[in-house]
Amino acid sequence: MSAEVGPILEVKHLMVFFENALALNDVSLEVNEGEIVGVFGSNSAGKTTLMNSISGLIIDIKIKEARRGGERVTVLGEIDYGGENFIDKPPSYRVRKGIGLSRERHPIFRESSVEENLKIAGYLRNGHEVREGIKDVYKLFPALKELKRRRAGFLSGGEQQMLAIGMALMVKPRLLLIDEPLLGLSPAIQADLVRTIREIRQKGVTILLTEQFARPLLPVIDRGYVMENGIIILSGTGRELLENPEVKAAYFGT
Amino acid sequence: MVKEGYRKERLDRGIKARCDSIFMLTSYREILYMLLPRVLPIAALIIIPLVLEVSGQVYWQKVFILACVISLLAMGWDYLASVGLVSLGQALFFGVGAYIAGALNHYLKWPIFLTIPVATLGGALICTLLLAPIIRMRGIYFGMVTLAFPLFFNRIIEATKLCGGTEGLPGLTQFPTIWVATYLIIGALLICLFAFRRIIDTDYGMVLRGIRDNDRAIMASGINIYWVKVQAIFICAAAGAFAGAFMSHHIGIVGMSVFALDMSIMPVAAVVLGGGGTFAGATLGTFILVPLSEFLRAYGTLRIAIYSLVMVVCVVGLPEGIFHYLQRKYHQFDRWVTVEAKE
Repeated sequence: MSAEVGPILEVKHLMVFFENALALNDVSLEVNEGEIVGVFGSNSAGKTTLMNSISGLIIDIKIKEARRGGERVTVLGEIDYGGENFIDKPPSYRVRKGIGLSRERHPIFRESSVEENLKIAGYLRNGHEVREGIKDVYKLFPALKELKRRRAGFLSGGEQQMLAIGMALMVKPRLLLIDEPLLGLSPAIQADLVRTIREIRQKGVTILLTEQFARPLLPVIDRGYVMENGIIILSGTGRELLENPEVKAAYFGT
Repeated sequence: MVKEGYRKERLDRGIKARCDSIFMLTSYREILYMLLPRVLPIAALIIIPLVLEVSGQVYWQKVFILACVISLLAMGWDYLASVGLVSLGQALFFGVGAYIAGALNHYLKWPIFLTIPVATLGGALICTLLLAPIIRMRGIYFGMVTLAFPLFFNRIIEATKLCGGTEGLPGLTQFPTIWVATYLIIGALLICLFAFRRIIDTDYGMVLRGIRDNDRAIMASGINIYWVKVQAIFICAAAGAFAGAFMSHHIGIVGMSVFALDMSIMPVAAVVLGGGGTFAGATLGTFILVPLSEFLRAYGTLRIAIYSLVMVVCVVGLPEGIFHYLQRKYHQFDRWVTVEAKE
């Protein structure tokens, strides 16, 4: 266990409205340096919106929707990262400050090869660092090394997820956000991926991840939050969550 | 604009305060609210020619008719775009209709009330047969082929001296008075406008929009999307061919200019400006663009520059389209509300 140096990320009273619908209702959470924190909840609990708010994509969504006259997105609250309020900062700034995001459903460049994908993801860094980064990713995911010339669209679901996480790692994040890492993967591959997440943490990266079912992730998370309809209804260590009977039935699979 | 502790709430009158069923009839304000957007364009279209006549603007009467003609093409384009077919060659439909009407009237001496229907249906049929083989193409590829067809016809007519070659077919029968012409095209425009809007709202229209959004899902529902696309091309081509046939009788001559690039580009520009998918937006767009283009003739060579500038400002400032914006503002209103706390 790494030493806890105080919160690296602190979300205070975050509220997100899509038009008049409340997607996140007064969400407060904190992530300490070197932790793996899980956010669990069913569909429409607001997990992805939380990830988008922390990574800044919500700003982009807000501007796009406003320009085409679509839904009005309202973001209120504070996202405190390294002593700075990130609530109005664009996603590019947040990436430069060390927040990496791996979005759900494997968003990769389907027409490019695996290695090209990693190179694109390392765009902010210089050539030497990119080569180092790619080497690190291949060390974490040996399967990707054999597939590096393959077109990314032809990879299997698990390989695409590995690539997506690898791409997020290419920006050398301090805080890595992973949205639904285990979505649609078989239990065997899930176990592999969970092991890799633990390895990533050992490199000194703090991880915040979301998932629908917490069971496969329980061994690695330090703390967890359970969300429902945009509200955090429960928080605690993995074991505490597991012992709550209601939550157990709903999210952990009995 | 940000106000501490508050956020903007958007209320949709469609949900909050209005019904469009039979109960609408219980209040005259609801009836007005429903009827205004429908009656306003009809009234405007009927009154504008009278106003122009009273004020003696013969030239602007011609411009008005041209705007109606282009708006038929624009609505056809919008209809095709609803099926996911982006046509860059509305001039094909226009030109084929114009030449069929012209040839029937010039060589066979058919009267107007025969040539226009025959040109409309025959032209639509010919265009559909021409485009049927490429119906499997999507996006820009379909656009490229449709862009090529009018140019192809242009050169064929020039090279083979078919239908009078570069001279065109002069001396066609004209409409007895300008009033017949004006109200014929206004009638056609209104029929197209309301018919297209109705079609796109029915279950059949849902299939059309579904093909645009995800054609494989529609295929998986057991619908032959190519047959539906052919039908859509026929309807679009009929509108375009009618416009062409009308125009050749209106000006009494049909020449190669009917295949000009203007006829292909103006409808697209109008739909982009007015807002796609609504047909009313296409009409609104043409009634802004065509008069603007004529009005700017006073500025000589700067005309195209100013014209382009206006278009760029409109498209960048209102990417959703003017009609979508107006529609939204008509149905919704905003207000500040305090942010509610957690329950």
